Amino acid sequence: MTRRTTSSESQRPARRGARASQVGLESRTRAWLRHHRAMWLDSAQRLAKRPLSSLLTMLAIAIALVLPSGLWLALDSARLLDAELDESATVTVYLDTRLDERAAMDVAARLRDQTPVAGARLVTAAEGLAEFQQGVGLEDALASLEDNPLPAAVVVTPADTDPDSVRVLASNLEAVDGVDEARVDLAWLERLRRLAELGQRLALALAGLFGLGVLLVVGNTIRLAVESRRQEIEVVTLIGATHAFVRRPFLYSGAWYGLGGGVLAIVLLVLGGHWLSAPVTALAESYGAHFTLPRLGFGGSVLLCFCSTLLGWLGAWLAVGRHLADIKPR
Amino acid sequence: MIVFEHVGKRYGGRSEALADINFRVGRGEMLFLTGHSGAGKSSLLRLIMRLEKPSRGRVLVAGHDLDRFHLSQIPYYRRQIGVVFQDHQLLFDRSVFANVALPLEIQGVEPREAARRVRAALDKVGLLYRETALPIELSSGERQRIGIARAVVNKPSLLLADEPTGNLDPQLSTDIMRLFEDFNRIGTTVMVASHDLALITRLRHRVLRLREGRLVGDEEAA
Repeated sequence: MTRRTTSSESQRPARRGARASQVGLESRTRAWLRHHRAMWLDSAQRLAKRPLSSLLTMLAIAIALVLPSGLWLALDSARLLDAELDESATVTVYLDTRLDERAAMDVAARLRDQTPVAGARLVTAAEGLAEFQQGVGLEDALASLEDNPLPAAVVVTPADTDPDSVRVLASNLEAVDGVDEARVDLAWLERLRRLAELGQRLALALAGLFGLGVLLVVGNTIRLAVESRRQEIEVVTLIGATHAFVRRPFLYSGAWYGLGGGVLAIVLLVLGGHWLSAPVTALAESYGAHFTLPRLGFGGSVLLCFCSTLLGWLGAWLAVGRHLADIKPR
Repeated sequence: MIVFEHVGKRYGGRSEALADINFRVGRGEMLFLTGHSGAGKSSLLRLIMRLEKPSRGRVLVAGHDLDRFHLSQIPYYRRQIGVVFQDHQLLFDRSVFANVALPLEIQGVEPREAARRVRAALDKVGLLYRETALPIELSSGERQRIGIARAVVNKPSLLLADEPTGNLDPQLSTDIMRLFEDFNRIGTTVMVASHDLALITRLRHRVLRLREGRLVGDEEAA
């Protein structure tokens, strides 16, 4: 079986082998990179070998990701709406009905000089009447009136739209000469803000919960993978594999699952966006608002994929860490 | 190479698997470890492989106190030992070549160098022509030789074998033992656990006898 000549030959490689074990940092790094590349490929091939079960896992991850990210997108659009509404957070200052147009302009100019006022637009009594007629459709009834019952008004845009400071501004404006009343209706704006805040917290809570869901999905899948490769793990541990070496293929699998789930989630979000965009736009238009569903965009997509890949990796790391401890070579 | 000092091993609350074992193995020695099944042969090998720690005493291998190893150092220690298992422990999802290459892959040996060494090891066990085969296609004798090729592919200074001929007929068993002798001749310390007394006696090497966890005989080579 073995020729005697080989024994003297193999003594030299033995010594060379001893030297080779003191490999330098450079070749160790190269070996490390080589193994990473190999495992990156190997784990992808393993996933591709069982396309249906891999796809199902990714789909489960995608569904877990769609809910919080969809809600987040919706809130993002609510924020856009909020910014638009800020502009309409105005104080309507009704002037004394006894003032004539010139006096009203003086008062408006004085109001404009107040701080913190960003702008003030005078609506004369006549203009007010015309607007009122248009809006309410009471032309005939109002036309029968002899006098214009409406006061002139100044629509003041506050510089600071914080509800409290708007309220302070309103009471200051009321103190100005020639002003009858300053009215501010902030309740609905505040309600909307509260709602948005609630939504945000809900999105965060959901993101936390569903993120945990992703960890569990990946963790369970990886646990099964570890179990099915138990013998291999035992053998490589016996012949000197480090934990990092054993863990690596599973971490890559987890990352692949996460990435696949992220991509699927983006697809679902785009499809869902298309499906909802027509009714949402129609609804917004019925309120006279201009509003379209926001898109995830390139940056958002990259972020989502990054997060899901990270989650997949982390799930795998937790699962492998837990189950490797159970596997002891017999 | 190997030093056991008053080594005892107890699993859980059961009686001692090993009790007060003392022996020394010199560098380049070849010896057998024998005894009935359950006498503690496997436990002793597991201690040398640092799969377990002794409950008492010290185990030194190549001057290292195995008890002092940090967990992260153990893999590097194991790379210096070649192990042959009774059930060969080959991976059935990859070729003979990939199986033998596994220790080199773990150590990060550059692929071309690894291929060269794998072929050298396969040549040594006489199975170079089988490198592309899957383990399932091999006979049990061939599988065992592949297991040996894998154990020696990174030129370990210590070769351990746990019942390497357990499932083989006498002729194949003798072949396997001759192979171990070849490795021993080039300087490898070889320790073979076996209960095949007939074979052991024929081969005339030092024999450590275990009975119920105690070392009851240490016979030098005749």
